[in-house]
Amino acid sequence: MMAAAPTLAAWPPLVAVAAGPLDAGLTYNTLVALAGVATVGFAAGVAGTLALLRRRPLVGDAAAHATLLGVGAAFLLTGRRDLPTLLAGALVSAVAALVVLVFLRRIARTRDDAATAIVIGVSFGAGLALLAGITARGLPGGAGLEQFLLGHAAALTAQDALLLAAASCATVALVAVAFKEFVLVAFDDAFAAAIGRPVGLIDTALVALVAVMVVVGLPAAGAVLVTALVVIPPVAARQWTTRAGRMLLLAGLFGLAAAVAGVLASTLRPGLATGPLVVLTAAAICVVSFAVAPERGWLWRRSTLPGGEESP
Amino acid sequence: MNPTDGTVLVADAGFAFHGWSMATAAVVSAACALVGSFLVVRRMSLLGDAIAHAVLPGIAVAVLAGGRLGGPLVLAGAVAAALVTVWLTRVIHESVGLAEDAGAGVVFTSLFALGVVLVTLFASQIDLDPQCVLFGILELAAFDLVPLGPFLVPRALVTAVAVLGLVAATLLATWRLQVFTAFDQAAARAAGVPVAAVTMLLLGTTAVATVAAFEAVGAVLVVAMLVVPAATAELLVHRMPLVAAVAVALAMVGACLGWVAAWWLNTSAAGMMAVVLGGFYALAVLLAPGDGLVARGAAGLGLAWRVAREDWLARIWRAGEEAGGAGEVARPRPRSAIERAAAAWLEWSGVVESRRGMVRLSAAGVREAETVVRSHRLWEAWLGRHAELPLDHLHPPAEWVEHHLGAAMRERIEAEMAAGEADPHGREIPREAGGRP
Repeated sequence: MMAAAPTLAAWPPLVAVAAGPLDAGLTYNTLVALAGVATVGFAAGVAGTLALLRRRPLVGDAAAHATLLGVGAAFLLTGRRDLPTLLAGALVSAVAALVVLVFLRRIARTRDDAATAIVIGVSFGAGLALLAGITARGLPGGAGLEQFLLGHAAALTAQDALLLAAASCATVALVAVAFKEFVLVAFDDAFAAAIGRPVGLIDTALVALVAVMVVVGLPAAGAVLVTALVVIPPVAARQWTTRAGRMLLLAGLFGLAAAVAGVLASTLRPGLATGPLVVLTAAAICVVSFAVAPERGWLWRRSTLPGGEESP
Repeated sequence: MNPTDGTVLVADAGFAFHGWSMATAAVVSAACALVGSFLVVRRMSLLGDAIAHAVLPGIAVAVLAGGRLGGPLVLAGAVAAALVTVWLTRVIHESVGLAEDAGAGVVFTSLFALGVVLVTLFASQIDLDPQCVLFGILELAAFDLVPLGPFLVPRALVTAVAVLGLVAATLLATWRLQVFTAFDQAAARAAGVPVAAVTMLLLGTTAVATVAAFEAVGAVLVVAMLVVPAATAELLVHRMPLVAAVAVALAMVGACLGWVAAWWLNTSAAGMMAVVLGGFYALAVLLAPGDGLVARGAAGLGLAWRVAREDWLARIWRAGEEAGGAGEVARPRPRSAIERAAAAWLEWSGVVESRRGMVRLSAAGVREAETVVRSHRLWEAWLGRHAELPLDHLHPPAEWVEHHLGAAMRERIEAEMAAGEADPHGREIPREAGGRP
């Protein structure tokens, strides 16, 4: 919850904006959901930065699309639809998808990108078929599982939020502990291997972190768009700094802001899924970063490019 | 248009309904598979996925502007959105140095999110909603009929046939340029092929195929229709026209089987189509002739078996030679499990005669063993002559090559050598079995 407390304090204007049309203001439940989603946004930004530095920004996409299958299977097998059960199922299927992907890349004679696309398409199709089958049979409690497609943060309970926050904090803690190793492998894996660092293990840990973030990001962003939570904030943060540590922190804060703003915006109008709004907020942060960031932004470069007479 | 509506309709409907739906699904899948063949060969599978997501805002805006689903305005909107995706990714890559895959990840997720929000906000005004975007509306295709001559046919089928025609005409008209660009871009550019235009044409075609598929199976599953049949076909056949043809055939069969499976299991047709295609791919990974795991495993096992058999015969032959030409020698110890199995087989089949710990080669065994030893010693002689390797470095490579040197190669090496010349170790080289005396 470490990132949650300052968040809510830091966003009074936004809270007020969102609370206005709600009349009743922010309920306790909304605040709790916001706190959980905020930590997820922060941790996803952090883990995504490491993935971007390692040049594997889309590593979570296959895992994300496979989560639907796990959600449906967990519900069918246990008959329960509490978030920990469903997310545990999602994690199992996400990891299974990554294992299949590694298997295909090593053994099948299919190009890497095609193998990724196949895992994305087929696992998502299977998940969709499973959820549609559950819905069509009208199994008790089976309705509403498709909230995991596009995200529905409003359904979070306090316990759910605590689970998301705990997983996020564990992710951030692991990154904090092994920060040097992750960055070393990202910038020069050959050197890291030469000085005896377990590169394979560190890469596996990175993929596992991204898989966990993709899974806990489901309630906020949904299976189809949760990749964006891992990709966009680091890309925005990359504009502002050239130091890995600052980029990590900044990406976390951008992710947090996008998650909170997206969730608040989704409460403005019934029927709006959380995921697209979170992604659009992140995209807006990204566009601003592309435009105005010092040194790298378009405006900055236009005004300081040497050679042109019209440049001031 | 949620899956419940669709699946209930599937369970209750009649023959024409199934026929129209399967025909629509098959035609849509064929268009996707045709484009997908080129995407897969060009390593652009994930760009296909990105385009399938990113066309959504283009479609939404076109529909808001008065376009009809499947109409020319919507097609134009989708193509525009696809080109914007590619252009934005490139602009970001060039202006801030972001890797193209990360850039595509930012652009397509953002555009898809924008599309979902537009569709949600204006759902009441347009003929689209988020469920349709995600699941497709194949189940409803047979209820939206338009007159075509004397018949009433599904509007989606008319769109799909038009799209398939457009896609096929575009790709067939530029077929040679597409294939040249796909297999050797640098050579194509050097030969004056407008590579950028050819690529843009392929991406525009992808967007057109995506629009039709999108209506049937939903935006997220389009990637399965684009990539899986083509990747499966690539494992089965290896010429571009064949890959495209097999991909189209697999896609059409997969669409029909997926529809039937969805009807039988009472679930989403789009999802089951992807699952069936995934099943085809898994079967191909396992069973494809040549590239499949089973074929590769069998080929590896066959080679290991032949090597073990030839090694065993040659060991007995050499032991006899060392014992001064004795026919019967003490049975060697097998060095591996497969050699033990090969030895047992040779003894059972009579190629090697075994008696009380002693073994003797039959006439056929002698011929086979002499061919192997001859290959081995000829290769040592050739290496000694041409590679200037020291004497103790000649054996290991010859130990490998002895199993692969053909009769023609043996003849050529022998032609270089003086008559009756021995190998570098001073041992006699056996004569070709059944050859000159």
